Amino acid sequence: MARYALRRIVEAIPVFLGVVLVVFLLYSVVPGDPARLLAGQRGDPETIARIRADWGLDRPLHEQFFSFVWSAIRFDLGRSYRNNMDVLDAILLRVPATLELVVASLLLGGVVGISVGIISAVRQNTFLDYLAMTGAVIGISAPTFWIGLLLILVFALKLGWIPGMGYGDGRWIYLVLPAVTLATRPMALLARITRSAMLETIRQDYIRTARAKGLSEWAVTVKHALRNALIPVVTILGTETAAMLGGVVVTETVFAWPGLGRLFVEALTFRDYPIIRGQVLFLATVFIVANLIVDLSYALFDPRIRYE
Amino acid sequence: MLRRTTRLLLALALVAAMSGFAAAQAPKYGGIWYDALPSNPPHLDPVFSTDTTSAEVEYQIFETLLEYAPDGTLQPLLAESYEVSEDGLTFTFHLRRGVHFHATTEGGTPTANGGREVTAHDWVWTFNYITDPKTNSPRAYFVDMIKGYEEYRNGEADHLAGVRALDDYTLQIEITYPFAPFVQVLAYNTFSVLPREDVEKWGTADFNFHPVGTGPFKFEEWRQDDVIRLSRNENYWMKDEDGNQLPYLDGIEFRIIPGGGATEWAEYQLGNIYATRVDDPYYRQVTAGKETEIRPGVRTVETQHGVFWEGPQPGVYYYGFNVEKITDKRVRQALNYAINREALINLVINGRALPATGILPPSIPGFNPDLEGYTYNPAKARELLAEAGYGPDNPLELTLQYNTDPGHQRIAEAIQAQLKAVGVNLSLREVEWGTHLDTTERGEVPFFRLGWVADYLDADNFLYVLLHSDNIGPEGNYSRFNNPTFDMLTKAARLSTDEEERIRLYREAEKIAVEEAPWLFIYFYTDHNLVKPFVRNYDLPAFGQYSNKFRNVWLDL
Amino acid sequence: MHASVEAVAATATPEVVPGRSLWSDARRRFFRNKLAVLGLIIVVGLVLVAIFAPYIAPYDPLEQLAWEDFSKSLAPPSWEHPFGTDLYGRDIFSRVIYGTRISLSIALMAAVVTTAIGITLGALAGYFGGWVDSFITWLINVVWSFPFLLFVLAIITIFPEASLTIIFIAIGVVSWPDIARMTRGQFLAARENEYVEAAKAIGASDFIIIFRHILPNIIAPMLVQATLAMGSYIQLEASLSFLGFGVPPPTPSWGRMASEGQNYLFSGQWWWSIMPGIAIMVTVLGFNLLGDGLRDALDVRQQTDG
Repeated sequence: MARYALRRIVEAIPVFLGVVLVVFLLYSVVPGDPARLLAGQRGDPETIARIRADWGLDRPLHEQFFSFVWSAIRFDLGRSYRNNMDVLDAILLRVPATLELVVASLLLGGVVGISVGIISAVRQNTFLDYLAMTGAVIGISAPTFWIGLLLILVFALKLGWIPGMGYGDGRWIYLVLPAVTLATRPMALLARITRSAMLETIRQDYIRTARAKGLSEWAVTVKHALRNALIPVVTILGTETAAMLGGVVVTETVFAWPGLGRLFVEALTFRDYPIIRGQVLFLATVFIVANLIVDLSYALFDPRIRYE
Repeated sequence: MLRRTTRLLLALALVAAMSGFAAAQAPKYGGIWYDALPSNPPHLDPVFSTDTTSAEVEYQIFETLLEYAPDGTLQPLLAESYEVSEDGLTFTFHLRRGVHFHATTEGGTPTANGGREVTAHDWVWTFNYITDPKTNSPRAYFVDMIKGYEEYRNGEADHLAGVRALDDYTLQIEITYPFAPFVQVLAYNTFSVLPREDVEKWGTADFNFHPVGTGPFKFEEWRQDDVIRLSRNENYWMKDEDGNQLPYLDGIEFRIIPGGGATEWAEYQLGNIYATRVDDPYYRQVTAGKETEIRPGVRTVETQHGVFWEGPQPGVYYYGFNVEKITDKRVRQALNYAINREALINLVINGRALPATGILPPSIPGFNPDLEGYTYNPAKARELLAEAGYGPDNPLELTLQYNTDPGHQRIAEAIQAQLKAVGVNLSLREVEWGTHLDTTERGEVPFFRLGWVADYLDADNFLYVLLHSDNIGPEGNYSRFNNPTFDMLTKAARLSTDEEERIRLYREAEKIAVEEAPWLFIYFYTDHNLVKPFVRNYDLPAFGQYSNKFRNVWLDL
Repeated sequence: MHASVEAVAATATPEVVPGRSLWSDARRRFFRNKLAVLGLIIVVGLVLVAIFAPYIAPYDPLEQLAWEDFSKSLAPPSWEHPFGTDLYGRDIFSRVIYGTRISLSIALMAAVVTTAIGITLGALAGYFGGWVDSFITWLINVVWSFPFLLFVLAIITIFPEASLTIIFIAIGVVSWPDIARMTRGQFLAARENEYVEAAKAIGASDFIIIFRHILPNIIAPMLVQATLAMGSYIQLEASLSFLGFGVPPPTPSWGRMASEGQNYLFSGQWWWSIMPGIAIMVTVLGFNLLGDGLRDALDVRQQTDG
C-alpha cells in the first residue's frame, strides 16, 4: 500500500509538468492584449507599451515560459493584470467560499442521493421509487443556471424563506440555494447509481445466504448490500467532485457567490493570464491530489482490487 | 476670472437652494447605504482606474479640486475658487482650509498620515506621482498639456515643472497651450489628492487594497467578489446648509452582484440593496406610477417599487464605419437612412434613449438642437445603395462586430432586421472586449459597435478625441476619419478660450461629420436608478449613477 | 483512477465472441425496457423534428414580427404562438423547433470529435504499446486533470469569436480521454486473449484482427458513452450561453434562448426562458434514457456517467 502510494505520487510529477505546459501554451497564442484593456477604450500608446514591458509581454515566448515555471516552482504565480493582486492570494481568498459550497453540495448530494437510492432499491417499483427516479431524471437534465433562477424565484421571491443572495458574511441560510443548485446533479446521479448497485447486489448469492441465515432485512441491506454498492458510489463521488469544480462557475454567477468560479470567468473576459493560468494550475493540482486519494481509498473499500 | 468665480458661486447657491427644497424634513443620522456593483472593481486607487465600477467606489473615498454638480455645472470641491490668467495658460487654485486625510481606516487602524491637513504640497506630490513614468497611470496623459510633462516622462526632468505650491493653500498649474476644458479634466476622478505617507507605506501595487483619501467615507473592508464596506469619515470637512456635520450615513456597503440582471433585481425586491439598475424586463413595472418633478431635466416616477430616476447621460451609442474600408459615403449615409431609431429605441430599450442626430449629446455645451441628422427613410436608403451599385441582385454584405453583452446583442439583432428591410445582409460577429478593441483600433474591422461617455463635459472630448486624425487608433478615432477641414476646426476650438467661438467651431465641425457619416448614429444615452422610497436627498448626477456621491444621502427608516 | 478503469474494462469484455446473437439478445432486452423505448422515441422524434423543421415551424425563426405590430413583442402563449414570442416578436415555438437542429448538431458533432480523437489515440496506445502508450497515457492524465468546464471555457476563449464549430471542437478536445482509455483497455485485453493469439497464429493480419476482434468489443461501450455524453453536451451548451460564451446570435440555440430570457423570468414573461429550457430537459432526458437502456441491453458496466 505504501509503495503503491509512493509510486502514484512519483507518477503524478510528469502529469503535473504537462499541466503546467498546457496552461502556459494555452494562453500564449491568445489574441487580445491585456495591456490594452487596462488602458481603457481611449488609451495612450506610450502607457500601453510601458505596461507590456512591466509584465514582460514583450519578451520571447520561451523566456516567458521558463520564468513562469521557475516562479511557479517557488509558489509565485505572479500578479493579476487586472488589479495587481498576488495571484496565489487572489486564489486562496476565494477558496473558502468555494470549498464551503462544494462540501455542502457533496454532503447534501451524498446523503440525500444515497438515501433516496437505498429507499428506491428496497421499495423497488413502488410509487416512491417512481417518484424518486423521476426527480432524479429531472435533476440530471435541467440546465444549472435555470434551476438556480427558479429556486430564487420560488424560495426567495415568492415564499420569502431565503433572505438573499451572495455570501451573507458566511451565514448558513445563504448557502442553502447555491448548495441545492450545485447538488442537484450529484444527488440525482447518486440516487440512480446507488439504486442500481443495490439491486444488483441484493440479487447476488451471498445476500440470499445472509437472508437465509435469518439476518433482519435492515442488517442485510446495510451490512452487505450497501457495503458492496459503495464502490461505484465512491467513483461517482470522485468524478462528480471534479465536475463540480466546473459547475461552481455557473452557480456562483447566479448566486453572486464569491468563489473561484467567478474569479475564473472575470479573468477570462479580462485576459488576466496570470489569474487564468494560476487558477487552472491550482485546480489541476488539487484534482491530481484528490485522484490519488480516491485511488488509495479503493484499496480500503474493495479488497478485490490489488496493487503490485 | 471674476466671471468664472461668480459663476461658481452662483452654481453653489443654486445647489444649496435645491437641496434645501428637497430637505423639508430634518435629516436623520445613521444607517448603511446598501448598493450593488456589477463586477468586482479592478481598482480602488483612482490613479489606475479607467472604468465606471471602480469610479463609483472611489468617488466616496477620494476628492478632486473641482467637481460636477448633478446638473452638470462645475463647482468647487477641495479648491474654494480658482483664477485663470489672461492667456489661459496659468491656473491658480485657492485651496479649502481644514480638509484632512482620513485619520483611521480598516476597523480603526491609524493611517500613516495620521489625519493631517491637506496642503498645496500634497497636490504637487500627487500630480508628480500620477505623471511619474514609473507609476504608469493609464490616465496620466489626460494632463499632458501641463508644462514639463514631456521632460518628466522622458527622464530629462526629475519633477513636473508646471505644478507649484505658492503657499500652503495656493496651488498653481501652468499648461503649454490654452486648453479650455483643462479645469474640467481636473474634475476627473484620477486627479484626487493622495496622502503620500500611505501610498509609500503600501507601495503602488497595494495602495489599491488600502485606499486612503479625504472623502466623506473611509475604506473599511474589501472582500473580493463579495462586498466593499466603507464607514463614515467623522472628520469630514463638509457641513450641510444648517451646519450639520456630513455625511449622515454611518457607512456604505457595495455588494458585488455579477451581471446585474435577475439576481440584482431579486436582491432589490428582498430589500437587501436600496438602489438598483433596472434592466429592460422590469422597466414597465417601475415606470407605471406617479410622475413627480424633483429636479428639472430629470424624470422621476414613484411606484410601489420605489422612486425611479432617469436623466440624460453625456454619451452616444454608435456603430462606427472604418472609412478606409467602407469608402463610399453613399453607403454610410444609406445605412443611416435605413434604421428607424425611434422604433428601435421603443421596442428594444423601452424608449429610454434619444435618437442620435449627430455626435454631441444634449448635455454637452455645443449640442445643436437644430441639427436634423438622419431620419428614417428607407426609400432614400435604397436609392443611395443603388447609386453605389448595390441592389437586389448584388446586395450589400456587411459584418458588424460587437463586444459580448446581452444589451449590445439586443440592439444588433434589431438593426440586423431593419437593414434586411432595405436589402442589406448584416451578419453579426460577437467577440470579447479585448479582441474587439484590438482588432478595431488596428483598422481590421469595417463595421463595429462602440459607445462613448464623456470624461468631461466638453465637445472636445467627443469631436477631437473620437474623430480628429491625430487620434486615429487607440486614442479614440476608431473610424479612422480623416478630414482636413474637420481637423482644422476642432483644433482651433481646442485652442480657443472664447466659449461662443468654440461652440460655433464645434457646430461647424459636427455638421461635416454628420454629412460624411463615419458612424451609424444610433442613440444618446440616458441613465437611471431605482431607489427605495425611504432614501432622502438622492439625486442622479450629470454623468450618470456611477458618479454619485452619497455624502448628503440619508435614510428615513 | 487507473486501477478501477482497468478493472471495469476487464469485466466489460464479454465472454462470448461478439456476433449476431449478442446484438439480437441486446435488441430483445432493449425493447423489453419501457424507459429505454421512451428514450428512443424521444431521440428519434427530435431527429425528425430537426430534419423537418421548416415544415413544422409555423414562422421563420428569425422573423421579427414586432416591428409591424408592437403587441407581438413578448406576447404570451396563444393559439397563434403556442410558446409565445420574444422581445422582437419572434415566434418561440418556431425557434425551439429550429433550435433542435443547433442543439442536436452540437451534441452529435461533439460526440463525433470526441470519439474520433479518443479511438485513434486509444488504439495507437493500445496497439503500439511502449513509449507511444506512455506518451498517450500521459496525455490522457494531463487532460483529465483539468476541470472540465473551465478547460472548455479556456479553449473557447482562445478564439476571437465563438462559433458552433469552435464549441464542439473545444468539447471534443477536452472529453476524449474517457473513450481513449476504454479503447486502450480493450486493446490490452485483446492482446492477452486466446482467440486473438489464435488468429495471429493462423496468420490473420493486424487489420483483420482489429476489425474482427477488437472493434466490436469497443462499439457497445462507446455507443453507451456517446449517447449519455450527448445529453450532457446539450446542457453544457446552455451553461456556455449563460456565461456569455455560447453560439453567436441570431442562431436559435436553446441555451442562448433560455439565457436571453432569464431576466424575464422574474418579470412575468416566463415563456422566453422556460420553453427552450423544457426542450433542453426533454432532450437530455431522451439521451439519458436511451443511453441507460443501451447500457443495460448491451450489458456494459460503466463507471463514467458523464
